[in-house]
Amino acid sequence: MPTVSSLARMAEVAADPDAYALAWKQSHPGRKVAGVLPMNFPEELLHAAGFLPIVIQENSEPDSEGRVILAEFYCGYTRNLADQAVKGKLAHYDAYFVADHCVQLLGAADVMRYAQPEIPIYFGQFIASMSEPSTNGKVRGEMGRIVREVERSVGAPIDQGRLQNSIRLYNEDRSLLRKVFDARRDGRLHLQAKQIQDLVKSSMIMEKAEHVALLKELLENGLGTQAATGTVKLHLSGHFCHAPKQELLDLIEECGAEVVDDDLYHGRRYITTDVREDLDPIDALTEWYFDRNVNVPCPTRVQHDADWDTYLSNVVNASGADGVIVLMAKFCEPHMLLYPELRKMMDEREIPYLLIETEHEGLPMESIRTRVEALVERISRRPARVAG
Amino acid sequence: MTSTTTGSTVTRMEANRSGGKMITDYWDNIFTAPERGKKVVWYNGSALNPIFQAAGLEWCHGEAFSARLAALHLEGPAQLAGAEYGYISELCSYSRTHLGCAVLSQGGGPAPGSETGAVDALDQAELASRLPHPDFFVNAYSGCSTGQQWDEMSYRVFGKNVPIFNVSIPFLWGNHADSGYMQGEEWEEATDYVVAQLRELIAFIEGQTGRPFDWDALTESMSYIKRASELRLEGMKLCANKPTPATYWDWIASIAHINFLPGNQDLVNYFGSVRDEIAARVANGVPALENERYRLYFDGIMNWNKLGWLAKRFAEYDAAVIAGRYTHSSFWQEPQIIDAENPLRGMAQHYLICPINHSLKTLDYLTLRDCERFDIDGLVFHSTRTCRAFTNPQTLLARSAREHLGLPAMFFEGDVADASFYKDEVLESRLVAMLENIDVRRAKAGR
Repeated sequence: MPTVSSLARMAEVAADPDAYALAWKQSHPGRKVAGVLPMNFPEELLHAAGFLPIVIQENSEPDSEGRVILAEFYCGYTRNLADQAVKGKLAHYDAYFVADHCVQLLGAADVMRYAQPEIPIYFGQFIASMSEPSTNGKVRGEMGRIVREVERSVGAPIDQGRLQNSIRLYNEDRSLLRKVFDARRDGRLHLQAKQIQDLVKSSMIMEKAEHVALLKELLENGLGTQAATGTVKLHLSGHFCHAPKQELLDLIEECGAEVVDDDLYHGRRYITTDVREDLDPIDALTEWYFDRNVNVPCPTRVQHDADWDTYLSNVVNASGADGVIVLMAKFCEPHMLLYPELRKMMDEREIPYLLIETEHEGLPMESIRTRVEALVERISRRPARVAG
Repeated sequence: MTSTTTGSTVTRMEANRSGGKMITDYWDNIFTAPERGKKVVWYNGSALNPIFQAAGLEWCHGEAFSARLAALHLEGPAQLAGAEYGYISELCSYSRTHLGCAVLSQGGGPAPGSETGAVDALDQAELASRLPHPDFFVNAYSGCSTGQQWDEMSYRVFGKNVPIFNVSIPFLWGNHADSGYMQGEEWEEATDYVVAQLRELIAFIEGQTGRPFDWDALTESMSYIKRASELRLEGMKLCANKPTPATYWDWIASIAHINFLPGNQDLVNYFGSVRDEIAARVANGVPALENERYRLYFDGIMNWNKLGWLAKRFAEYDAAVIAGRYTHSSFWQEPQIIDAENPLRGMAQHYLICPINHSLKTLDYLTLRDCERFDIDGLVFHSTRTCRAFTNPQTLLARSAREHLGLPAMFFEGDVADASFYKDEVLESRLVAMLENIDVRRAKAGR
């Protein structure tokens, strides 16, 4: 059985990132907390500089200010981010960093800068057009600029040895998480989907060494051989920048499904790619940015030879998932743009699928239950398929 | 005094009547490009057309075609085709419409006799599907991340069989203390990066056309565009007069021209006629509205489905919409930085100062500047349902205008190319409320 204490601790942190950050600041006087906006900023740089990097999470409070200051047709994450900023909920951060050019995210970032002018927010844009020859050099240059900004923030240069150590530590954390994910995919582990989410979400928040220790404890005590909880195996796909609500994950499982794999940001997308340890660290982090999009293609990047639909088809094959639930944050434009290609692939391969749009404020759970049950029933009625 | 509809009508500019024909002729010409043996480039975002013109290409600006369809109320079939393909209605309607055209041009779309309830739509589909297939794509989208992703989908719709080149325009966030409108270290670095990419683009185009790029032709077209822009800006400046001789809607009618028509003497003549007609109106005391009582600023992208409708709506309340971000902070708006002999740097800088490529600080500067320049009474914000890029900082801009200039603001709901998102009752009630607010302020100030 997985140890209760390590899972519980990660769940506790995932449920209240702000409490963790505040406690960390108290126990580390003089050190700073950096808020990272998703999804591509190299946290290792911040870690090496002595920051606690936290990927800022959506909170569970209803938006009020966020719905006024950003229009209602912004994704739930960006409106909630704006809401948190205006309400002063992010006051414990000492600096913000962002690398992604997402028009909605930058709108929220503008609100953060307006609401908290005393907290610097640095945008080091990683060019999203991955196939152009000039992009690598531009990203490398931007990485250098980010280093200078991080050093300016802490008032000290980033020690190269410390950076290499940070890279190793982050790689170790990702590697341990992949062990859990692979065990789930291979049927050797049956954790609830929300528990899997807690593992990744807490990694985005916690001091990495502390998180690594918890993961090691979890793995050393055995992942257990619990029975499968569902009759139908599903892959969860999409949901960028923020975590799907855990009530939704519970509901999917209540309907008789077991989540065996995913490509969520709070899932495989965050953990798949390591930073090379045999290169100059800045070169390695640059390469990591490009490797990420090859390993798990993202529609927020434009790359002509890396298709998310091909990736999805391959991972569904690998896990033996019976179907796919596409979780789309409502108003997420990159996802809306690519969705028809995913749909085409799944139709061609006759993979049963369901699209669920999510919002910050809440979900029509009974309607979703009906739809998920229908998907599960549809899959259950299919004749057995030959593997591959 | 309570605002009522007094029935002011808009005196439409003669120059824009003839200007409409220039646009029609342009698109009709594009439709015959393959028959004339011309290569066609589909592009989105920045005004790269001078480069295409110099390369002997014919060019189709995706957003412009989507806007045209919407303005002619012919966007339905393309949007239906896009919806059937799988594009959700909350997606940028420019992209949905254009991608729907891509689908239609390949024979996709609703099947004849299908229960769309819009039999006429299938006839109208002819316009949406008449775009000639691209020989290659170029994307150079400033400010909006969706814009770059959109053409990647165009590339996918065409089965990845059509070459594509991406020019990335860095967002002017303003990280440094010296960052400002057209100034600072970030500005210079971004300019250098975009210039380098434009050179790479030209090399790519040479590969596609099989002939050397005609730099003299680029100089020539940029000379015309620079002059056309200067004339346009002269006309805009005259609208500081009270009453205004021309409105925001007149400048909207000439966006196509400044955005993508060929840089040639016809373009210069057109904007010369616009400027001259405005100057004549000033000289002869001919106002754009019979009874201008309010001067307004319009922020947001144009609601193309409601072009004439909106012009009449505001005029009914004697509200002259004078200027806006989309017309006055866009489209070669700083011609003095263009060196026609070495145009790439000035072109790159114009792509960077696209009005959705700035963060709040610069947008605030531009908005307040124009409100003061044109002695604006109130601001109208088009909360464009599917355009987050243009909607981004609007609430904060409204607050700033109130705080710094004491100006009221209103928001109305609409969209750039999807008519279903437009709420006329919301616009009218809020417009009336704002105009009453202005009346009260004037009364208190003894005006």
